[in-house]
Amino acid sequence: MKDDLNIVGKRVVRSDSLAKVTGRARYTADLKFPNMLVAKVLRSPLPHARILGIDLTAALKVPGVKAAISGFDTYGVKWGVFRYTQDHDMLPTDKVRYIGEDVAAVAAVDEETALEALSRIQVDYEPLPAVFEPNEAMQEGAPQIHDAYKNNINVHVHINVGDVDKAMSEAFLVREDTFKAAGEAYAMMEPYAVVASYANGFLDLWMPNAGPHVRAKALSNLLKMPLNRVRVRHINSGGAFGGRSEVSPGDLVASLLSIKAGRPVRLALSREENATSTRQVHDMIATVKTGMSKDGAIMAKDYRVIYDGGAYSSTGPIATSIPFYVYEECYRFPNVRYNGYRVFTNKGIRGMYGCHGRAFIAGNEAQMDLMGKELGMDPVDIRLKNGLTSGEVTATQSKITSCGLAETIATASERTNFKEKWTKTSKGKGIGMGCIAIMCGFPMGFRSGSSCYVKMNDDGQATLVTGLVDNGQGNESMVIQVASEILGIPMEDVNLVNADTEATNLDPGAYSQAAAFVGANAVRIACENARKKIVAIAAEKLGVKEADIDLRDRMAFSRKTPGKNMRISWVVREAFFRGDPIVATGTYFPSIDFEREWVSRPWGQMAGTFSFGTSVAEVRIDGQTGKITVPHFTAAHDCGRPINPMAVEGQMEGSIQQAGIATIMEENLWNKGFLLNPDLLEYKVPLACDMPEIETIIVSSIDPEGPFGAKEGGLTIRMNAYSAIACAVANATGTLFSELPLTPDRVLNILERKKGAKK
Amino acid sequence: MILPKFDYKKAEDIAAAIALYERSKGRACYLAGGTDLIPLLKLRLSEPSAMIDLKGIPQLKTISRKGNSLVIGPNVTLFELKNHETVKDYFPALYESLDATSCETLQMRGTIGGNILQNTRCLLYNKSLDWRTARGFCYKMGGETCNVVPNAAACFSNYCSDNALSLLSLSASVKLAGPEGERKIKLEKLFSKDGRNPFTLKPGEILTEFHIPFKRSTGAYEKLRVRNAIDYPLLGVAVSMIGGKGKVCVGGIGPAPLVYDLKDLSGAGLKEVAQQARQEARPVSNTTLSAGYRKKMVNVLTQRAIKRALKEGK
Repeated sequence: MKDDLNIVGKRVVRSDSLAKVTGRARYTADLKFPNMLVAKVLRSPLPHARILGIDLTAALKVPGVKAAISGFDTYGVKWGVFRYTQDHDMLPTDKVRYIGEDVAAVAAVDEETALEALSRIQVDYEPLPAVFEPNEAMQEGAPQIHDAYKNNINVHVHINVGDVDKAMSEAFLVREDTFKAAGEAYAMMEPYAVVASYANGFLDLWMPNAGPHVRAKALSNLLKMPLNRVRVRHINSGGAFGGRSEVSPGDLVASLLSIKAGRPVRLALSREENATSTRQVHDMIATVKTGMSKDGAIMAKDYRVIYDGGAYSSTGPIATSIPFYVYEECYRFPNVRYNGYRVFTNKGIRGMYGCHGRAFIAGNEAQMDLMGKELGMDPVDIRLKNGLTSGEVTATQSKITSCGLAETIATASERTNFKEKWTKTSKGKGIGMGCIAIMCGFPMGFRSGSSCYVKMNDDGQATLVTGLVDNGQGNESMVIQVASEILGIPMEDVNLVNADTEATNLDPGAYSQAAAFVGANAVRIACENARKKIVAIAAEKLGVKEADIDLRDRMAFSRKTPGKNMRISWVVREAFFRGDPIVATGTYFPSIDFEREWVSRPWGQMAGTFSFGTSVAEVRIDGQTGKITVPHFTAAHDCGRPINPMAVEGQMEGSIQQAGIATIMEENLWNKGFLLNPDLLEYKVPLACDMPEIETIIVSSIDPEGPFGAKEGGLTIRMNAYSAIACAVANATGTLFSELPLTPDRVLNILERKKGAKK
Repeated sequence: MILPKFDYKKAEDIAAAIALYERSKGRACYLAGGTDLIPLLKLRLSEPSAMIDLKGIPQLKTISRKGNSLVIGPNVTLFELKNHETVKDYFPALYESLDATSCETLQMRGTIGGNILQNTRCLLYNKSLDWRTARGFCYKMGGETCNVVPNAAACFSNYCSDNALSLLSLSASVKLAGPEGERKIKLEKLFSKDGRNPFTLKPGEILTEFHIPFKRSTGAYEKLRVRNAIDYPLLGVAVSMIGGKGKVCVGGIGPAPLVYDLKDLSGAGLKEVAQQARQEARPVSNTTLSAGYRKKMVNVLTQRAIKRALKEGK
C-alpha cells in the first residue's frame, strides 16, 4: 500500500455538499412524474383490536380517487428479517397491534381528495386488551399480541461463555445494578416518503433506504414479483441512523396503490406519522452484574436485558444482541452470561439505532467507574486494564485485527486532563468517559460483500457503478475520493452510478458500518484493476517498466523520468483502439464466520474488523433545578485511516449531538400506547445553542484489510457519547443513575435522594 | 400536513377588519404573524371560514409615547420590540422574556399581540386530528372529559406566553376594538382562567394597543425549558420592580398567569411570595417534564427572578 497519498486522507469538499447546501439535491418527496397520484394511509386508532371488516367502497366513489387498498389486497406475506421472525403483515387483516398501524390506503389526484376518501373508509374493530410495558407483557395471562410467541417473548438471545457463577463467587468485588432507558426517535430531517411507479410489469421505487438491494428483495417477496421487476432507484436520503434499514409499510402501500392505479404514486408521511408509524428505538431495562478481581480485571459479567420490541419482530434478534456485542468487542470478558429478551408490546415498531443500547452501555460504564473507585482505580486505568488489544479474541470468538482503543483512551484523557478533574470534583461539576468498539459489517450471508464496476470513458474520466448507498454520511464522496486516488484523476472526473438495483451489484448497505470497509474496498479493488490496465498501456507507450509508472493529475508518467508522460485520456483511447476498453470489476467479501447466527450460534468472527473510540464529557449541574449543561466534549475515534478527515469529524460532531447531548433530553413519551411527542417541538432534539465546545481527535490505527487502512467514520462516538455524559453525571453527583435520559426532573431526584441519604 | 380551506382577506384598517369579521357570521379569525395560528390550522384545532389578515394595518405596527405610557402596537414583532431603544433600559423583564421567546427567526415573524393571544397548550391537545380522534376529544376540543386528569372538572391546558408575564409584572393594560366599540382593560382582565377559552375577548374584538406605564424598572425573567431555544416555557417567572415595590408573575402552568404584589423585600417576605406561588400553581402531567418537578421549580425560579431583579436595582 502506498503512503504518499494525493487525495485519500485529505480534507476535501464532499461531492454532494454543493447540491445539499444550495437546496438543489432532490429527495423522494421532491419527485414529480406525469399523472402522479397522492397516497394517504388510514391508521389504527386502537392499540390492539381484531379487524372484523374493512369496507373501501365509499372511498372509491369519491371523485378523483384512483385506488384504495387494505390488507385484503395483499398476498398476506409477512415480513421479518429472518425466516423465524416473519410476523409483520404490513397491512394486517387479522388484528391491529399498535396505534398508528397502517390499515388501509388510498391514491387520489390530490391530498384533499385522498383525505376525504380516507374519512369514508369503514373499519370494524373489536377492541382487545392491550399491554404496553414489557415487564407486564411477559407475565402469565397478559394479552397475547402474536399467537406464535408465548408470553410475548419475541426473541431470547442467550450467550454463555466460561463459568460465570464460579467466577462471580471467586471475584473480589461484585456489584449488580439495574438501568432503565426510554426509547428515542431517529428524528431524521426527512420524514419517510416513497414514490412507486408501476408500468409494463415493472415497479420502480424511490425512498430513503440504507440498502437498495435488500429493500428490493423484501418487496419482491411481499408483492410476489420477480426480483428483476422491482427496481429500487437512487435518491438522496435525509438521514437514516438505522431507521431506514428495513422495508417499511409505506413501501408496500405505495407499490400496491401504483399497481392498482397504473399510475405513479407518492406517499409522503407527516412528521407525526414518521414518529408513530415508522420504526423507533427500543426502550430497555438492563440488569448488569459484574465481578472484578482485586486488580480491577473484569472476571465475569452477567446480564439480563429486556427490550421493548413494540408490535413486530423487525430486526429482533440483531437488536437484542448488538448492545452486548459492541461492549464485548471493547473489553475482555473471560466469563460472561447474557440473557437478552425482546418483548412485544402494543406500541409502534422498533428497529436498530446508531446508539442502540444506551441503558446497557452507559450502565456498564458507570458501574465500572464505581467499582474501579472502590478498588482505587480511576476510569482511565480501569478501561486500559480491561480494554482489548490487537490480536486478542472477544468472548464470542471474534479476532481483533487492529485496535486503537488504548490510544483513544490515552489521547482523550490527556487532552481533557481527565484524571485530575475526575479525582478533584468540585460542586456541580463532573467528567466522564465512555468507550466502545463497533463491528464494521456483520454476517448477512451472500449479501455481506460488495462489488464495483468501473469504466474509463473516452475523455479519461471514470464512471463507478456500485450498490453502495449514502444516507447523508458521505459514502458517495468517499468512494469518489478512493477512485480519484487510484486512477490519478481529480474527484470531479469521477461519475457515480450507485444504489440502483437495476444497474448496481449487491452491497450490504449503509448499516452495520460496512460502507467504508466493504463497499469502498470493492471500489478500491475495481479501480486498482483498472489502473493496472492503464499502467500496462502507458508503460508500453512510454517505454518504461510498469513499476515505474504513476498516475496523477490526469497524467501517466515515469517516476524516474517525469518528462516521459502521457495523458490518461490517450491511454484510454488507445485501449478503445485495441478493442479492449479499460473496464474492471472489484469485489470485496469480508472474513466473517458465516456459521454465526444471532440466536442459535452466537459465536464466531462477527466482522472483518472493528473500530474503537473514547468520548469524554464534562458536565455542570444546576443544584437547584437539576439542569445539566455540557461545556466541553472530547471524542477520540479510531476510524482506521480517515479517507476524508473533515467528513469523519462531521460524523463525530453529529454523534455528540445525537447520542451525547441527547442523554439529557431525548426520549419518546408514551401514554396508553399513544406517543405523546411525535413532533420536533416536544421531542427534544438538541439545538445548536445546546451544543458543547467540541474537540474531535482522529486516531488512525491503519487496518491491514480496510481500503487505505480505513474502518468506519464515527459510529463509536454515536455509541459511547451517551455513556460519557451519563458517567460524568455519576461523577458529579457521586451516585449511580437508574433511569435515562438524565432530564432535569430525574437529576433533581438523584440530588435529593443523595441529600436525604446524607441526613 | 396541509391547511384546511379558508377565505383570505386583508384589512386596511381596524374598522375594515371588524366589518369583515361581522360579515363572516363569527367564523373568521384574525391573522397577524401566524406562528401560533398556522400550526393550529394544520392540526385542525382551528377551522375558520375566513382569515382576516391584520398585517397591512399601519396603526397596529407603531411604538410611541403617549402621556405616561409606552404604547405598543400589537403587530410589532417580538424582535423589533426586543431591539427598541427603551425596552432594555426601562423594562428589563420584558427584554428578557422577548429574548427567551422561541428563537430569533420566529421572533422576527411573531408579533407581541399574537404572542399574548396565543392559545393555551397541552401535550394531549396540540396534536393532529387523527391522533386526537383516536384518543377522544377533551374539554378543550368540545368533549366531555380531560384526557390528562381523569374526572377533572376543568381544563388544565397551559398558557405559554413568555411576554404576558413580563407585561403583567409591568402593570400593562390593553386596548380592544370590536363590533361593540372600544374598551381599555388591565391585562389581567384579558384572562378568563378557563383553559377551554382562555381570553375574555368578545367576538370580533381586536387587540389594538398595549400600554405600559413609562417608568424605569428593574426586573428579570426566568424560564424553565429543556432546550435553550424554541421551547415554550414549562414555567416562567417575571419580576419587575419600581421604587421598592414590584410584581411577580408566574405562568406556563395552567390557563392563566398568577400575579403577586411584592411589598415586603425582606428575605422572609420574598420566600413567602415564592412559597405562595408554589402552593397556588397547579401543574398536571401535560408537558414533557413531570408535574411535581414543575411545582418545585415555581419556588426556585421565583426566588431567582426576585433576587436578580433586586440585584439589578442596586
